[in-house]
Amino acid sequence: MLVATDIHRHFEGMHAVDGVSIEVAPGKITGLIGPNGAGKSTFMAVIAGTLPTSSGTIVFDGKDITRLPAYRRARLGLVRTFQLPSEFARLTVLENLLVAAQHNRGDSLFGALMGKRYWIEDERKLVQQARALLKRFGMSAKESDYAGTMSGGQKRLIEIMRALMLQPRLLLLDEPMSGVHPKIVQEIQYYLQDLRHEGLTILMVEHELHMVERLCDTVVVMAQGKVIGSGTMSSLRKQQEIVDAYLVG
Amino acid sequence: MNSYYAINLLIYAGVDIIACLALNLQFGVAGIVNFSFIVFQAVGAYTAAVLSMPPDTAPDYSFQIYVGGLQLPFPIPWIGGAIAGGLLAVPVGFVVLRKLRSDYQAIALLVLSVIANTVITNARPFLNGAAGLALVPAPLADLFDPATYGYFYVGLTAICTALVALVAFRIVNSPYGRTLRAMREHEVAATAIGKNPVALKMTIFIVGGVIAGLSGGILTGYITFWAPSVWLYPETIILFAAVIVGGRGNNLGAVLGALLVPVGFEEVTRFIPSSIGPPGLIPALQWVAIGLLIIGFLWFRPEGVRPEPRRVFEGAPD
Repeated sequence: MLVATDIHRHFEGMHAVDGVSIEVAPGKITGLIGPNGAGKSTFMAVIAGTLPTSSGTIVFDGKDITRLPAYRRARLGLVRTFQLPSEFARLTVLENLLVAAQHNRGDSLFGALMGKRYWIEDERKLVQQARALLKRFGMSAKESDYAGTMSGGQKRLIEIMRALMLQPRLLLLDEPMSGVHPKIVQEIQYYLQDLRHEGLTILMVEHELHMVERLCDTVVVMAQGKVIGSGTMSSLRKQQEIVDAYLVG
Repeated sequence: MNSYYAINLLIYAGVDIIACLALNLQFGVAGIVNFSFIVFQAVGAYTAAVLSMPPDTAPDYSFQIYVGGLQLPFPIPWIGGAIAGGLLAVPVGFVVLRKLRSDYQAIALLVLSVIANTVITNARPFLNGAAGLALVPAPLADLFDPATYGYFYVGLTAICTALVALVAFRIVNSPYGRTLRAMREHEVAATAIGKNPVALKMTIFIVGGVIAGLSGGILTGYITFWAPSVWLYPETIILFAAVIVGGRGNNLGAVLGALLVPVGFEEVTRFIPSSIGPPGLIPALQWVAIGLLIIGFLWFRPEGVRPEPRRVFEGAPD
């Protein structure tokens, strides 16, 4: 589904990502692990288009997207979440979901000027769709609350639901469990497993190795901007170089 | 209150409401800190003036020098003013909004405002320099008795205000308005869900430019005069104060702010005896008061008198 080849990202001489190549298989969860400063989040940002590549190519579903801006990649179904909460704070929880929907006739200047009758049917359908997601993620009661007032875990859920409103084909999750209450970590884990069973492809950066072991079909290990190994978590535990570089710590 | 005074007040209120609604779209809803807003109003005013005035060779107009002088009938000068405001927004937005971070955008736009005023002041052959344009024809003035013309102009201003309010309310309450608010809250996250921030900013910047241009056309048609001294950059600060006091992101707040700040301050200070203190003290105090008002509201009530409403959808759980 996603093939990234020889990706480099330099910051004024510092090689944050240094020749990384990975393949993400469809319908699987691929984990990306490594110590702090390994370049995982930078790599995710490069894949999502938030940061441009210094060199290398990214092919998504057979299409070269290396030069596409982030918003066009998102429209193709390559949707990311962020390491730090990135909710739209002064929009309600429901609005956070609605704003991500792609097919709303009122989401253009022309549509807005045409008036409510022009777009209300689209809006009603999307409200239903968003409410179904809120119900699934146990957040129906919060739909009218400002997203900025939610807890860290709830903000993570909002981000995931917001990404799902785009009907993504590949979901890029950057440390979805970071700073989240253990109870919500469990919930997020179940939701991600459900999404995988439904066929969604996920590439996930995560530090919590037990979680990675439970969730990920394939794991890629990065250190100092390079890939130092990949495979299942159990196979990686047998490779001394990887154990020394990361797993022991 | 005599009728001339009331007409004057109503027309200024209309112009300020139109300007504040436009600034609210740009700043309150989309988060663009347009410190050059007054330039767009000025472009609309100059354009409407030179489209409605006769050539500068005409007998009564030969004391000034300006381009244009097309003597076009109403409402073409106002439409031209609005278009000019929108057209100016294209290159300005293209340079300022694409690459710069929002704080640098604000600085660049402030600098633009100062440069534009300086250039127009000193380039006399273009728009008569510091002296400005005088004897701008009032729209359809020859069809009315001078005693009743003011009422007609109030009506004309009210129609324009209503149209602009309709546009502003439709934008703010639509899914498009929601997208603009999302971009204001977190631009990178908005990009990650497929929104093109440059296109969104450019569009609302142009819409704001069009409305600002129209407000300039209305104002110059009433005061029949336009010069660099009436569009100095602090005028933009007054409009910002109005939007902040009224309530950023709320159209009703923008209307309220327009009535409280530009109109209210002008009018309240009118009742302070001019014998108090040296000449120029009262206008100076107005600026002090506006500065304190902005700081006070940002400190104690940053959401303004009428905060942006929370959107609760039909069928939401209690």
